[in-house]
Amino acid sequence: MSQALVESRRRDGAWGYYPGRAGRLESTCWALLALARHSGATVDIAPLRGWPAQKGWLIDVPGAPVNVAFNALAAVVLLQHPDGRPLAAPIVSNLVSTQGIALPQSEAIRQDNSLQAWPWIDQTFSWVEPTAWSLLALKTARRQDIGQSSAIDVRILAGERLLADRASRRGGWNYGNSNVYGQELWPYVPTTALALMAMQDRRAEAVVRAALQSLQKDSETERSAFALALAAICLRVYGVAASAIESALVDYLELSRSIGNVVGLAMGLYALSGAHDVDAFRI
Amino acid sequence: MAAGCWRKAPFDRHAFTVPARSAVGLFAATSYSADLADIIFRGFQELGVNVAGRRVFLKPNMVEYEPGTAINTHPAVVAGAIVACRRGGAAEVVVGEGPGHRRDIEYLLSSTGLYDYLREERVRFVDLNHDDVKVVPTKSWYTDLRDIALPVSLLQSDFVITMPKLKTHHWAGMTCSMKNLFGVVPGAVYGWPKNLLHIRGMFESILDLTATIQPHLTIVDAITAMEGDGPIMGKPRPLGFVAMGSDLPAVDATCARVIGLDPAKVPYLPPASRYLGNIDARRIDQRGESPDRFATRFELIPSLEQLRLPDR
Repeated sequence: MSQALVESRRRDGAWGYYPGRAGRLESTCWALLALARHSGATVDIAPLRGWPAQKGWLIDVPGAPVNVAFNALAAVVLLQHPDGRPLAAPIVSNLVSTQGIALPQSEAIRQDNSLQAWPWIDQTFSWVEPTAWSLLALKTARRQDIGQSSAIDVRILAGERLLADRASRRGGWNYGNSNVYGQELWPYVPTTALALMAMQDRRAEAVVRAALQSLQKDSETERSAFALALAAICLRVYGVAASAIESALVDYLELSRSIGNVVGLAMGLYALSGAHDVDAFRI
Repeated sequence: MAAGCWRKAPFDRHAFTVPARSAVGLFAATSYSADLADIIFRGFQELGVNVAGRRVFLKPNMVEYEPGTAINTHPAVVAGAIVACRRGGAAEVVVGEGPGHRRDIEYLLSSTGLYDYLREERVRFVDLNHDDVKVVPTKSWYTDLRDIALPVSLLQSDFVITMPKLKTHHWAGMTCSMKNLFGVVPGAVYGWPKNLLHIRGMFESILDLTATIQPHLTIVDAITAMEGDGPIMGKPRPLGFVAMGSDLPAVDATCARVIGLDPAKVPYLPPASRYLGNIDARRIDQRGESPDRFATRFELIPSLEQLRLPDR
């Protein structure tokens, strides 16, 4: 797996989502984390150091809107390395000042549309995945005393409120609508795992406990490296055994490898490597 | 702003031509075990579709998966289209989708069964959410977006076939050939769901995407459609046909009539008829079966009742 990941690296040091494709932020971040964990080395932040940037944001696709979620992921990666802190600081500052738009309340959707956490891109609504990544970045930054702590605390609270509001009554999260026209929508394993990681310091709360149960149950029938890897990483952060999920993950990594899915492969390698008590996602 | 409220046309009138008449084919297929390749190939012949030498891009609809639901274009229809395109002499056939809710493409390919069909047919799949992208100018401006990032695999093909599942849609009224194009907007750029399109206006986005991509053909999976609270939580509803045509508004308008909706009330269809295609039944030539054979009354959520045809 690590060899496949190394071989899919571009000459400029980045990774695309698939071999031979343009370097992208998310795939590069996951590949860097996975290879570092697999080899027991510190994360190599050189590709992010040279990444195109504008106004403190890393630019994923020139000419396209800034991707907030993957900038937050990049901040988490940079904060794993002592030299990455100055590079992470502007992203952290941007995350503090970024919020999704508020929308009028809708009778069709059971949620509080006034909550403003994090959107995928500027001038859009807040969703689970960018909020989870931003919470992970800000909670990691707070632990390392980066940024203005009172402002970070305010934004963390806003993010946690949104996740609590958008949780499914069955436990867990999908992309960010839990009930539309009176119908409970299904939670997904990957977004549940991510949101749980972001809420790991709130594990006594009912919404977190319900999501953890949902994750454990739903992971049993999940069919992809992407989902199983995130579930395994999350459960490890929570100190819950994930050996059955890890076994299934090994099987599904074959599919990731066969179609060249760099993120699936990197997440899988990360989930199956390293000491369980050390984790980039532990706050 | 609602799509029908524009006073000045937000498109270049010289860049679009609405045909005088449009052909729409409805071809009976009672189940997914029917010879769909044969049915679709017959559709090519009846509609004069020529894919010889073309690099064909098939864009089915995949959103999320739950057993027993009718959310996604059935993989047997995709496989049928692959075989029909090859029989028609296509130089290359590629399948691609960028699911709008679940970004986990391996999960969707495995759980829907599409991966097995693709492997059997030896066809490449492109994850449109994570493909390389190119920022291109939009060709109409209902959303006010002047450009949009689109997947290069789609842009490099020279014959795009949109392959929707016919469903009710609690925001758009119905989802068919045109709404299916939301799936080409890359999630890794714009996020999940494709919220930019909702913020800019769902109807407006449907129009601008159709104008910008200009698919060459649609093949609609209406063998089992979805009624009620679509596009996710609705109920499967067997209809027993595949709809095809090169004029997307004409096909969508025909499908709307079959399920009991008035195309003139589906908000994006009247503006589409100004520059993208025909929705007036008098300008549509039916091929294959008559729409009357399949005409029915779909269950609708209360907010969509206003879209019904007067006599249904």
